[in-house]
Amino acid sequence: MTTMPNDDWFTCLSRCEAVVPCGSGQHVVRWEAGALELDNHADPEAERVLAALGGGKARCVEVAEAWTRHAADLTVLLVGPRGPDGIVVGWEDVDAAGQDGRRGGGLGPGAPGGPGQVPVRRPSTMLAAAMARASAQRSQLLQEHAEARQRRTDLLSLLALGPAFQVRLAGQVVAAHAGLLGEPDEQGRSRRPALTAALEGRLALVAERWIGIDPDYVKASLHAGPGWGSVELTGRGEQRRLQVSLPADWVARVWACGLALVGRHLVVAVDRAGWPDARVLALPAPGAEPVLLDVHARGGSPAGPDGEHPAGEGSVGESAASDGPHWEI
Amino acid sequence: MNREGAETYLRLLAEAAMRRALAASPEQRLAGSADPGGHRTRLKLVGQALAAVGALDFGTLGDILVDFNLAMAVRAASDPGRDPGQALATSLALHGQPVHQLPVTWGVRLGLGRVEVTGPASPGAGPAGPTGPEREPGPDDADRFVPVGLKVPFRDADVSGELFLMSYTRTRAGARFFAVWNIRAPALRDISLIPFGQITVADDRGARYGLEFAPSGDSGWTSEIVLCPAPPPGARWLDVTAPGSTTVRVGLGAPDGDGTGNALVSKTETSPGEHLLATIGERLLTAVPDQPRNPWRQATAVAPPALRHMAAGLGDIVGALEAADVLSPLSPVPARLATLCASLGIAEHGIMAPPARQLPEPWLSVLSHYQRRKPEPVPLLDGYAAMTAALPELDGIGLTLLGLHHSEGGSSLYALARGPLPEAFLGPFGIDPTFPLSVWLRDSGGRWHAARPAERRRSGSRDAEPTMRLQLVPPLTRATPWAEVLAGGQTAEVRTRLPLRWGYPS
Repeated sequence: MTTMPNDDWFTCLSRCEAVVPCGSGQHVVRWEAGALELDNHADPEAERVLAALGGGKARCVEVAEAWTRHAADLTVLLVGPRGPDGIVVGWEDVDAAGQDGRRGGGLGPGAPGGPGQVPVRRPSTMLAAAMARASAQRSQLLQEHAEARQRRTDLLSLLALGPAFQVRLAGQVVAAHAGLLGEPDEQGRSRRPALTAALEGRLALVAERWIGIDPDYVKASLHAGPGWGSVELTGRGEQRRLQVSLPADWVARVWACGLALVGRHLVVAVDRAGWPDARVLALPAPGAEPVLLDVHARGGSPAGPDGEHPAGEGSVGESAASDGPHWEI
Repeated sequence: MNREGAETYLRLLAEAAMRRALAASPEQRLAGSADPGGHRTRLKLVGQALAAVGALDFGTLGDILVDFNLAMAVRAASDPGRDPGQALATSLALHGQPVHQLPVTWGVRLGLGRVEVTGPASPGAGPAGPTGPEREPGPDDADRFVPVGLKVPFRDADVSGELFLMSYTRTRAGARFFAVWNIRAPALRDISLIPFGQITVADDRGARYGLEFAPSGDSGWTSEIVLCPAPPPGARWLDVTAPGSTTVRVGLGAPDGDGTGNALVSKTETSPGEHLLATIGERLLTAVPDQPRNPWRQATAVAPPALRHMAAGLGDIVGALEAADVLSPLSPVPARLATLCASLGIAEHGIMAPPARQLPEPWLSVLSHYQRRKPEPVPLLDGYAAMTAALPELDGIGLTLLGLHHSEGGSSLYALARGPLPEAFLGPFGIDPTFPLSVWLRDSGGRWHAARPAERRRSGSRDAEPTMRLQLVPPLTRATPWAEVLAGGQTAEVRTRLPLRWGYPS
């Protein structure tokens, strides 16, 4: 068993696809080996250049750009899925939200200080200074709104790709940060809080299915150092608590790959990554010694990130969930 | 302070809140409320508490709230009971804006709540502004605070009334009277009718001063009258002459002792978390509606529903403060807060500590006022009391008491605040965390009145010294001849007892 695996986090994941309405057609967006591919766009870079020159940008290209922008965005972990159901967002929802955002800007030409405002008299020095401040604030507000709108559209588009993409994006983000716990992120903030919450939020639901514990009684922390971590159950009844310490990349290597719960075992690490066959280290019960299990992915069966079947059917996003593996011992 | 612990706590709370919200029954989720179960409110409340003690910056807090709202919106839209055509658009509209989840000003946002807006005014600035060049203060630059307590009647063809000068202050930001005004005629009580242009002020050397009138933003009865330029430090008196009346002489003689009202300072080693919880306790105490005017109608002796709703998050606030290492798990303050909640009829506060047997004396005094519920046989007349004391600095804030005003059943204590006061922002329970002092007043009958910050007023030339109106809860019920003022900071508290000179409008 290795504690610092050298293989890619997504080695246990198969490819997946989603159908995206693009222009007048339906295009396939594909994820494979950690990368997003646009099968219907031979030269996305050239399309970006054309778009920069004033042409329209294809939705597939926009989605790929959004993926790139958020592939290391820790905030994705708060919005993204926790359990097998994924999040259902349709492309018509993305369009409606985008139009609503543009309508609801609230800072149109008629707003104070906006274009179209004709000064009726020459302002005093103090008034001019106040107007300059207001104008600067308004510019900043507009910029913030535009950025926030773009970000929201990005995230909704990525969610619209479906649960299979949603969990892969979460895995991508966690993998981008898990090895850098000791370093602050680009904004100078610690990475630990978001990663701890991402771990506990997902593990709590897995633990509920594993041993029937109330998710509120699951406490997770990031494990550092040798070994896979620890899982300890304490107390009884209302006082029962499950204390779990796992490496940050558990969310990427185990949960996002659909391996969290296999054959009533909690998978705590991947010993030999691969698809459709892998070997994992798993616990039959809290406090028990971990055992090595050879697991096999059975394709074609809808499955969520904890290896169980998702509830609900029928959206564009959910069709992609069938690309997720269902692991068996 | 453990900022990482603080952020982790808030993010884990967001996870739990989302789980609980989604586990709620479909009826609750589809009820149309923007915040079913109050999870969003509680998350914001805890975030505000962490920001108030400096354990979390506004940028991070805003990001968490925005993402939490988006996460809730997309999940609510996935609810099978919703109309598929409108689901996400409606949900996004219901669950909030993508930016600015916190009601903070630009100054606070850009400076992440740590904007040093104010500081001691420079000595050379004078009343025109605090931004002049710094120089070493000389012996003549000592601040002067004088209780005045004099009435200046005025009368001309259009208006008659009076100004009651409560106090005179001369600081590096300038010189000013703090006054209450009253117009007897005409019936229209418009402050612009006061003939300020005809009121003259001259000192003992014959120098004359211009007046700048700055009405207060509250009831309009109080105001500051700025003298331009500031009289010299050695001025012995000021003669104030208003149209239609005789000259009133305001003595500026030797200040009373050191100007602090013989204040007693004692150390109080409270942590930032304890201080915040105590402030929240005071906020709860002062949120209870007072005795109704109609004695036959029973008062509501419990905190109003909005506060009760928020108080459900107190346990989370305690946990968050402990996670941020600004509150010891052994602190007695959470237990006091639990007792206070129980006394106010707030059952679901979430504080795990067992209730304390004892509460601070001022808290008990206010609680007994609520429980007494007896209206005063003779209500206190509208009036004003001169009182002036510059309290020793607490947590970097110098508070100078300017006077008391009782009007229309409400009492207010006015004070000048000097020091590094950042721009105000809304903290948990509506408190202003940037004013870090707790102020209480005890009347001659031994009853305590919480002085809750109700208004902070700055004007361009005195940005460094805002005037604060502190609303007394409960209001005064008699013209107390003296008052003991207790101001508490995180590291020390100060007590001073001051005689009061009451005046009443004619």
